[in-house]
Amino acid sequence: MITAERKPMAEIKAMLAPYRKILVVGCGTCVAECASGGEKEVGLLASALRMDAQIEGRTIEVREMTIDRQCVYEFIDKLTGVADRYEVILSLGCGAGVQAVAEAFPKMLVIPALNTTFIGETKEPGLWVENCRACGDCKLGYFAAVCPVTRCAKGLYNGPCGGSKNGVCEVDPDTPCAWQLIVERLENTGRNDLLEAIYPPADWSRQQGKGPRKIAREDQRSES
Amino acid sequence: MDQRTAGLNIAIFFCQQLDVNQDKNRRSLEKELGPRIRFFPLPCSGRIDPLHLLRALESGADMVYLIACPEGACRYREGNLRAKKRVRYAQQLIEEIGLEGVRIEMINRTAEMPDDIDAIARELLARDAKVSISPVRSNAILSFMQK
Ligand code: SF4
Ligand code: SF4
Repeated sequence: MITAERKPMAEIKAMLAPYRKILVVGCGTCVAECASGGEKEVGLLASALRMDAQIEGRTIEVREMTIDRQCVYEFIDKLTGVADRYEVILSLGCGAGVQAVAEAFPKMLVIPALNTTFIGETKEPGLWVENCRACGDCKLGYFAAVCPVTRCAKGLYNGPCGGSKNGVCEVDPDTPCAWQLIVERLENTGRNDLLEAIYPPADWSRQQGKGPRKIAREDQRSES
Repeated sequence: MDQRTAGLNIAIFFCQQLDVNQDKNRRSLEKELGPRIRFFPLPCSGRIDPLHLLRALESGADMVYLIACPEGACRYREGNLRAKKRVRYAQQLIEEIGLEGVRIEMINRTAEMPDDIDAIARELLARDAKVSISPVRSNAILSFMQK
């Protein structure tokens, strides 16, 4: 899941300042799960914006809408016929959602309400933790499904670094040592042999340096 | 000045476990104050969502109360502890738009408080008003939480 957090109200207000007719659009998938951009959060933000305008004696019109996914055109299309009645869309999707909505409505201004933060897991209610950096060359198969790129503060493929104490990372005492977890899980799954291997440095060209990455799958594409 | 004299609109969310006869007991006060007061019974205070609190303020409430059981005495164990955090979240959000956080207040029933929800509410109304009429209400034509 993509995680995100709401921007401070002051920043959202400043971006919306010139506009009176605002469509607040949530996304019912990742950001709903991390309680930053789902239907409830749309309601809270819209309510706050309306009250804020009333306090300042401004008249605004705010409509709330939440679509299943903001990063897929078939869902974005639900905004067709609605969006053009507003001056601006305040999107509570992740960065991908904001951009996909903007592309679908070339003449609409689309403003992000969230700061998109990381790919992560819901660890417990109210706690989300990063666990993948989308490196493009997943090595979880060699590291007992614990990502050293993300969860080791030093990103070591050939760990541990020797600095962890009591299973905790020396860089941040609130974070379990990824390599402790890797070793334990390799032991538990009978794959100690994987610890013997020396892993070459990652090929970072798969992750960055050439602009946006693309995945094209002919079997999934339409003819037109 | 007490809250009634100050002319405040009051929304009261409360845990039904506080008063098994809440349905009947709250009627006298509802009759007396008409649209100036609204009760919202909850199966547990843990059912509260910040959105309820914000919508109440947006609909013209000047003060929003959440009345819960004493800490440690929640029928569902930690409902009122969760409610406390959600109240705090809502308070922070309204503070960001310049509304006083104290417009939302959580009350945990104490042993000295009466049993009936209307009597508890009367006690709250008799307290000194911490806020004046909400700028949300004074700048807008709103009907107070129409059902
Ligand atoms: S726009 Fe897509 S990727 Fe972004 S939060 Fe919504 S569903 Fe997830
Ligand atoms: S190895 Fe790469 S793709 Fe796999 S979890 Fe880690 S960052 Fe993500």
